[in-house]
Amino acid sequence: MSVISLREKEARFGWKLVLPTVILISLLILYPVIYNIYLSFFEVSISDAPNKFVGLKNYSEILKDISFWKSFGITILFTFTTVLGSILLGLGVALLMNREFPGRNIVRALLLLPYVTPLIAIVFAWRYIFLPIDGPLMQFLANFGMNPGNDFVNNPNNAFWVVSVFNIWRNFPFVYLMILSRLQSIPTDYYEAAEIDGASDWQKFLHITLPELYFVIASVALLRGIWNFYKFDEVYLMSKFANTLPVYIYEKAFSGIPEQGVAAAIATILFVIMISLIGLYVKKVLKW
Amino acid sequence: MKKLLVLMLAVILVSSVFAKITFWTTEVESNRMQRIRALATIFKAQTGIEVEVVPVEENDLLKQIPIAKNAGTLPDLLEGGIEPILLLGSENFLDEDLATKIIMDFGDVYNGAARMLNNGEGKYYGIPFHAWVQGIWYRKDMFASQDLGDPISWYNIALAAKVLTNPDKGVYGIILPKKADAYAEQVFTEIALANGARPIDEMGNVTFNTPEMIEAFRFYKELGKYSKPGFTTVLDALKGYLNGEAAMIFYSTYIMDDIAVEEVQKGRINKFNPELVKNTGFANKMINVRPSSYGQVVALGITKNANKEEVEKFVKFLMTDKNYVYWVHMAPGGMNPTRKSVAESEAFLDNPVLERYGKEKIAEIVAALDSVERFEFLNGKVITDMSKLSANFVIGKAINYMFANDWTPQQTAMWAQKEAEKVLGK
Repeated sequence: MSVISLREKEARFGWKLVLPTVILISLLILYPVIYNIYLSFFEVSISDAPNKFVGLKNYSEILKDISFWKSFGITILFTFTTVLGSILLGLGVALLMNREFPGRNIVRALLLLPYVTPLIAIVFAWRYIFLPIDGPLMQFLANFGMNPGNDFVNNPNNAFWVVSVFNIWRNFPFVYLMILSRLQSIPTDYYEAAEIDGASDWQKFLHITLPELYFVIASVALLRGIWNFYKFDEVYLMSKFANTLPVYIYEKAFSGIPEQGVAAAIATILFVIMISLIGLYVKKVLKW
Repeated sequence: MKKLLVLMLAVILVSSVFAKITFWTTEVESNRMQRIRALATIFKAQTGIEVEVVPVEENDLLKQIPIAKNAGTLPDLLEGGIEPILLLGSENFLDEDLATKIIMDFGDVYNGAARMLNNGEGKYYGIPFHAWVQGIWYRKDMFASQDLGDPISWYNIALAAKVLTNPDKGVYGIILPKKADAYAEQVFTEIALANGARPIDEMGNVTFNTPEMIEAFRFYKELGKYSKPGFTTVLDALKGYLNGEAAMIFYSTYIMDDIAVEEVQKGRINKFNPELVKNTGFANKMINVRPSSYGQVVALGITKNANKEEVEKFVKFLMTDKNYVYWVHMAPGGMNPTRKSVAESEAFLDNPVLERYGKEKIAEIVAALDSVERFEFLNGKVITDMSKLSANFVIGKAINYMFANDWTPQQTAMWAQKEAEKVLGK
């Protein structure tokens, strides 16, 4: 019997412990990713006929497709707008909520509602509020001379803005929570020292608060960026006409005559873009 | 020998206990689901075969199929309009032999209804299950007070829409579909056919750019001026008509119980207008350069991987005698049987809604099924490419963009032409 050292034993034991996780991740994440890449080289048949190998045809087709580039642009704009919007709103609210005032705990709890309420419920509420003629918001705006017949949600030209505003509103509590928890751990001595030096509120915010929040904001921006780049449910439920890439992929893969090979190719392209963007961001902004 | 017998008996017993089929239905409303589940329960009690009923939204049907195929959860039987059934049939999803056999076994299925499911080679993609006719439902009282003729010709329809619109009182001449969905295409089909316009001709050419088609878009846009604002859809039209907001709407015969039955109407708009049934007129055709009427056959498609024996039993169970009547009475007037013997039976006509409209009116509606027109059928040929345009909502999108971007009829037609060519890969 060969003798194994303690170190070796521990290493083997460690592997045994992580193995289930590794297997699960391979099955649930790696396999679909690889299968998706494999599919992207095929014309996928939805009936019993076998898939046809087409090489890079799906890729060249997409890269030539104007509607793909349009969707791509919209998705970038959507991600940028919503991440920036939710961070600004979250930051503002967090700064407010960091101050002492009566009833603060109740307000803090209420602020979380958009994030914790089931999506479908708030989507219906929003759609009702925006209803032309009969919707409360439209009736209110009609008092200021706006045409109550405007249908913001279902107008394909407005869909992008409605979805963006909705996404900012729904997700700012997440940003607010993260920032607030960091705000509360900034030592008060810093502010006291700055006060003695005669710093204004704005100067204190700029030179103490913001640098202290830098990494929290940067990490939150990364997370929200990834989530919103791939955001499907909120967008699709609110308006099917927002034309972002995840909706575009879904339409390609599952509507009309499904082109699942093409959809797989789009997903692969997105995956590559996303991985490189994340790598760049982590290196330059988060400075890991 | 005895052992073998016991074993066989056990196998039969076990297989009958576990025999199960999945049935996708587009009748997603809860009261309809209740009836379908009740039928499934009776079927199970009689045969031991369990039927899992899955509701699928009509607009989502074609999206669900590939998802289900990849997941290995395709149904054995599905109910759907002819567009998805033709499309699934042409993509080799459906068991044409079994469908044809069942139609032949019945022997009394209306030719007009079955013709719409013809695969062009003497077989049928699916079994015509029930059918409806679409037209303009209008307030006879509002029309009479302004001395307007029946809304059958384009001229009469546009004039009535204009005269009866009074936004200050919350009344609109019409509620027209403006969203990119199946309803917009249904309404547009009737309008285009009345003008002799078709999206695809007999040779398979895309013909959105013809003068007739542009004219049809022009008429649609004109009606839009007198329609309730917003990108309205089928439910807006129904509710608007029931609560007196609209003088005219395009709707199928499905509206008959909403108009006539108190509890159904209350379920829609929370109040009931007992005069509505008397004050409602129905224009079952439209004329501009030619007359046209529009209808839909809802069919049962049997998938290739189905449990054939069980499915055949279930289809025959659904389409026979009192089970069939129980099914079509879930929407009296809307769902009309496609089997002659049932359509003419006392049991079918014995219904409070159908009685209110009268047997003659019902007979007229059912008979219209033999003359309804569709973009998919031209001179006895099936144009399967049309199903692809429908599945991609090309017409619905064109209408949606026309109103959203204020496109001219020409721009709309050109966009539809390009989009259709793209979808069909031409």
